[in-house]
This record gives sequence, structure tokens and C-alpha cells, in this order.
Amino acid sequence: MNTTVKMENKIAPYQMLLDAMETTHELVEKILPETGIPSLKIGLEEIIPVVRKDIEKAREGVPIVGYHFAFQADYLKCFDCVPICLEGVSYFLSTLLINGVEKYYDVIGNWGHPFHTCSAQKGAMGMSLENLYHFDAIITPTAPCDSTCASYPFFKYEKKFPLIIADMPFLHDEKSYEYYAEQLKLSLYSLGEVIGQEPDFDKMRKALEVENEVSKLRMELFDLIKAVPSPIENIFNPIAAASTVFISGAPENISFYSRILEIAKSRYKNNNHHGGEERIRSIWPYMVTFFDISLCEWLDRELGMSVLLDIFNYNLSDPIDTKSDLDTLFYGMARKAMGWPMVKQSTEFYYPFLDDCIRMAKDFSADCFIYTQSIACKQFGGIPQLLREALRDEVGIPMLVIDFDVGDARITSAKAIKDKISMFVQTLL
Amino acid sequence: MSLKNDQFLHISDSITNPYITEWLANGKKVLGYYCTYIPDELLHAANLLLFRIRATGNTSMNLVDVYMVRFTCSFVRATFDMALRGIYDFLDGILICNSCDHSRRMFELFDLKVFGRENFPKPASQFYYSIPHVITDEGFEWYYTEIQELKAELEEKYILETITNQNLLETINIYNKNRELLRKIHEMRIIDTPKITGSEALQISMSNNSVPKEVANRELERILNSLKESEGVKSNGKRIMLVGSEVDNTDFTGLIEDSGALIVSDFLCFGTRNFLDDVHLGFELDPLKSIVERVYYRISCPRMMDDHERRLNFMKNEIKRANVDGVILQRINNCDLHGCDNMLYVHELKDLEIPVLNLDREFYQADTTRLQTRIEAFLEMI
Ligand code: SF4
Ligand code: SF4
Repeated sequence: MNTTVKMENKIAPYQMLLDAMETTHELVEKILPETGIPSLKIGLEEIIPVVRKDIEKAREGVPIVGYHFAFQADYLKCFDCVPICLEGVSYFLSTLLINGVEKYYDVIGNWGHPFHTCSAQKGAMGMSLENLYHFDAIITPTAPCDSTCASYPFFKYEKKFPLIIADMPFLHDEKSYEYYAEQLKLSLYSLGEVIGQEPDFDKMRKALEVENEVSKLRMELFDLIKAVPSPIENIFNPIAAASTVFISGAPENISFYSRILEIAKSRYKNNNHHGGEERIRSIWPYMVTFFDISLCEWLDRELGMSVLLDIFNYNLSDPIDTKSDLDTLFYGMARKAMGWPMVKQSTEFYYPFLDDCIRMAKDFSADCFIYTQSIACKQFGGIPQLLREALRDEVGIPMLVIDFDVGDARITSAKAIKDKISMFVQTLL
Repeated sequence: MSLKNDQFLHISDSITNPYITEWLANGKKVLGYYCTYIPDELLHAANLLLFRIRATGNTSMNLVDVYMVRFTCSFVRATFDMALRGIYDFLDGILICNSCDHSRRMFELFDLKVFGRENFPKPASQFYYSIPHVITDEGFEWYYTEIQELKAELEEKYILETITNQNLLETINIYNKNRELLRKIHEMRIIDTPKITGSEALQISMSNNSVPKEVANRELERILNSLKESEGVKSNGKRIMLVGSEVDNTDFTGLIEDSGALIVSDFLCFGTRNFLDDVHLGFELDPLKSIVERVYYRISCPRMMDDHERRLNFMKNEIKRANVDGVILQRINNCDLHGCDNMLYVHELKDLEIPVLNLDREFYQADTTRLQTRIEAFLEMI
């Protein structure tokens, strides 16, 4: 085996993902009409080159840094490394591979890992156990959940990958932001020591500026989504999550949002809905399934149900002040990190979550909420009923709760999810 | 001498007890808490009775099912079911930290559905502090600040005067004494002919966490003296160390011991984790800081992400010290923290050729036969 192949083999799942994305892209290009599912097409077009470039860099021997999706990919731009989001790769493989990544959930399950942890981590753990990953280091915050805190030690104690931890406190206040800013800085320095590089914060500033730009575009987009009918197709939600995971900090992310925005503007102007007719406007305060994103199309086209927002999309952060000193910079980064999707809701009490949902329901004229309760997210285990009561009392709209696993069809199948939604919809129309 | 009918142990059979009733009758307050990452001495100095929330005797999940999804820990669910039924109405407040995702959410649920209930009998307060998930100098500073803020809150809400260093020093003595007594009782458990069973040790621990510490110390001293005279437990059972999720149910320890084992040691938060480390006053003589140092740096539980190795070493030492034949790891279903830590232990202990059984269970004794079969098979295999 030559050295080139060896380096590439350090991130075999990433190569699997690239292959799957390229095949999907080919299908999208060949089969779907020009007006097909634009966000899927645009997403793949923007993501594929970035992933391909990363794999080339891996071949050249650039350090491979695994990171938790709650650690912002653009912050890792201070290094010359290949950042691999453990959760992101695992979930998007579950989307794109015919049989998902259930095989790897079983690998780690058979090794003794509890079934009720997060499948995003189970996937990455199973792949590591099969030696498909060889990280030079892994970096994670101590949020958003027990599953993170409980699963990541496996990489350190069993796989012996250096594990760098940025401790994130609970509750959002000034002292938390300051503490986490310091943790972020310390963790990046520690990571630098492990991979033998000095962090280049000027390079990172540029990536942060890209994301500041992306934030502005997202704001504009969300204003358009308030319109009836929504000018954005449902599949945008998981694709936007993918763009956050794979191209954050890269100019391709600006391009992704600019192109989506153009389409949204044109649909808005013409009063068009992707599925033909919008009959129900829903908000999913958690997320849609990753193991079968065709659910999004089914909702749009069969039910006329728009998914206006999901957990990945309703966190809009303030731009980071990139022109000031390092402390201010890290403070801004900490604020953004603590307002990150899922982290925001997990590192706070339920009260602001409830308030946010009520506000969103009103601002976006939602007819209902669909709450998908992941078996892994224990931090949300007490919210469904409180949210249901709040939405009923404050906005007068109902909420459906579906227990599921985002990446594992065996917990609740797409068919079962569709049946539940169909029955729920009958009560709405 | 048997502890079977000992009145102190029987305090653990129910949630309230006469000491709580008397405490409340004297106009004093009781604070509930879930996790052992608690600065006990500070709360005691604030003249509060600390009650470690448990679900002893609970058999129903009817009410809690509305508010907590079934993927949450059945121990926490059971406690909340009791709270919804008014069993915890004697509390004047609750202290919550981010120990695990299940118990930390009890802050909001108690607030909205228990203390916020129209007919809740008295005004109740809630306190929250955040603990780092790693053990570092910065983490210590964070935690220390959190506890200083908690102190200020307690002074403002409850006692309306300053908790002095002298107050803290006094309670440190009481708590160090308490831990010393528990350690001495533990010594009687790990010897060749143990003088106490695992179930009795658990009962002692639960009772100890349900009464004023001054009372507990008197009782523990009495029990210790009587144990000295005792012949010990007549058992040929295998010597087991019990590790993992919350255990506050002697039905479970009883099941293990009735299957032909004796639980001679444990690594549980209602067990050894509570009493192994003392508060050591440093040169600075800053008692609050010393209290925080004990809680933060003591032998950890799996919520501390970077301390697995130290936990494993503790287990290895304890296995030797207590001459343990086998380890039973258990997790309450949906307890990610213990479930994952147990996964690592299974492989590490097997590598060390220490017999190990990894069980999953519910808080309530639902599947006794399955558990019993697995435990018996394990004991036979040792
Ligand atoms: S296991 Fe740890 S975090 Fe959970 S209650 Fe016990 S001491 Fe607290
Ligand atoms: S058993 Fe596990 S999940 Fe349940 S309260 Fe304890 S640490 Fe939390």
C-alpha cells in the first residue's frame, strides 16, 4: 500500500460521502427537470468541491481533525487541517447511502454502547472501531448533551485519539460567554500543540467574515419565509444543515445562500410554492429525518405542508466583530457558539425555548408544530408537553410529537412518520 | 447483631421521616437535590436540611408520562411522578445543577408543575449552578464562583445574614465526621467477613441523606459500635462490587444478594462516591474554597468527561482492597453517562481478567426474572 492511499484511508467515511454525493448529484442532474429541487442541486454543487479539496489535502498528509458539530468549523480555519464533522458525516451518510449507516450503529452497539445514545455519534464510533477513521485529534465542546459527554471519551480511552475539550457552561450570561471564550482559545492552542501548528487567527478571521456574510443572507431569507406561501422547499432545511457542516467559512457557503436567496425572491415575487399549493405551515422545533429526506418532498408535494423552520435554521447569530483584539474576537465566537443550533436550546432553561417557539409561530404564521423527539436528546425530554401547552394557550395551534431517531430508520420508520403526520393533518384541515 | 430492624435504616423505607417533620415544625427549611456534586457544608451552614431526592416506593408513572418522554431515566421520572402526586410538597426549594440532562431539567419541571401548582402549600425557591464537565484549574475557578454566588443567594433568600467562615468551619467538622463514620462502616463491609450487607449499606446511605447530619452522626456512631460486636454476615456468596447508575432501591441490591452474592463495595452516588474524600482546610483558611475543592476534585462520576482513567484506577484499587470476585455494572435505561462509562469498563476489566456483568435495567423492578437469570448465571460463572 502506498503512502497516498494510507493518508486517504484515515477518513474513509469522508470518501464514502463524496462518492455518495457525486452519485446523487449525477442523478439530480440527469433525472430531475431544471426546476427540480433547487436547494438539493445547489447544495451538492457547492459542497462537493470543498469535500473533494479536503480529501486531496488529506492525501497530502495534512492533519485530520475530527470535530463535534457544536464546535464551529470556521473556527478550525486557523489551522491547515482537514476538519471532519463526526456527526455531520455520519448523518449525511445515513441520508445518502442506500442502507444508511445502521451497520456502524450495530458495530458499536455490539461493542457495548447503549442504544439510546445519539446515532450521529454511534455512526462515527462504529466507523472508528472498524478503523475507517484515524484522527490526529478530535475537538468537542461539553455540549449540547449527555450523549456527547458520554460518547466522546471512547475516542480518547479506546481509540487513543487525542481529545481536546472546550468546556461550555450552562445558562447564557456574560460570565458564561467570557468563560467559554477562554475555553475556545485554550482548546485551539491545545489542538495546535497536538497537531504541531501555531493557530493563525488572521486566517480564522477571514473565515468568520465569510460566515458574517452568510448570516446576513440567512436573515434576508428568513424574512422571505414569513411570506405565504413559503418560497423555500422543505429539503432546504437538511441541505442548509449540510452547508453549515461542510462549507462553513468557505466562500462556497456565501454562494449557496446567494443562489437560494435568488430562487426564494423569484418565487416570492410570483407567489409560487415548490409543492404547488401550500396548505399547512409547520415549524419543526427539532429536526426532520436524515435517514430519509424524501419526507421533505412528500410533505411539500403530497400534503402541501411547508416546513418553515427546523432547529438548524432558527438560530440567527449576531455578526462577530472581526476587526478588534483577540479577546473581543473570542467573546463574539463564544456567543455565536452558545447560540448554535441545539446548543442554544440545550445550554439554557426551557423558558427562552418556549418563548422563541411562540414568537416563531406568530412571526411565521404557523398552523402547527411538529416535534420530533429524538431518543438520544434527553435534554429535551421534558419539553414536549410544556411546549404543547404554551402553543395552545398563547397561539392556539396544535403540536404533534413523534418519537424517532434522526439517523436510524429502525426506531420509527419513514412510513410510520408519514402515517402519523397524515392523521394529524386530517385534524387540521 | 443484625441491622434488620434498626430504626435508622428504616428511615430509608419512606420519603419523609419524623426528623423532617420536627425540622419543619421548628420553622426551618428543607431543600431537595439530585446530585452529589453539591456543597453540602454550605447548605447546612445556611440552616437548611438537605434531602437527596429519591423515588423509594414509587410504582407508578401515570402522571409523569405526560411531562417526560419515555426516553428519560426512569429514576428521574419516578421522582417526578411522586412530586406530581404531592409527595414532595414538604420541600421549601430545590437545588439543581447540570449533572445529567435528565435531572437538570427538573428545575423547570418543578418550577412550572410542582412549586407553581395552585395548591402548593408554601412559597418555594429554586437554585441552579453549573458545573464544568472537565477537571481543570479554569473549571475550578468557574465552579468556585458559582458556589460563591449560590452562597449570596442563600443568604438573601433564606437566612438574611452572612454565612461566616466560623459557620462553615463548624459544618465542615460535622460533615468530615459524617464521612469518617461512613468510611469506617465501609471498612466493616470490605473485610473478609463483612459485618454488613450491600443492602444495609445502601439503607444507611439513604437514611444518612434524609436527616440532619447531627442526628445521622449520632446514629452512625451507634451503628458502628454495634457492628464492632457483630459476628458478621454468614454468607458464602461471591463478593461483588456494584457500579453505575443511581441505586436507591433495596429491591435491586436484594435481588443481587439473594442470588448468592454479597455486595462488598460499590461505585455509586448513593455509596462510596459520597464519603471517600474529606474537606481539607488549606493554608489560606478559606473554608468555602476548601468545600468546593472537595466536591470538584473528588473521585468523579461519568459526567466528568476527562476523568475516566482515575475512575478506573479507583475501581482497580477497590477491587483489590475489598477482595472483589466480580463487578456488576448497571445502567438505568437511557442513562447515557453511566451506560457509556460502563461500556469502557467492560473491556478494560475483561482485559484485566476481572469477571464483569453489564446490566441494563429500569429504576423500578420490572423485569426481575430476566435480571435474576443473568445475575445467577454470572455468579455461577465466576
Ligand atoms: S451520576 Fe454523577 S451526575 Fe448523576 S447524579 Fe450521580 S453524581 Fe450526579
Ligand atoms: S441514573 Fe443516570 S440518567 Fe438517571 S439521574 Fe443518574 S446520572 Fe442521570
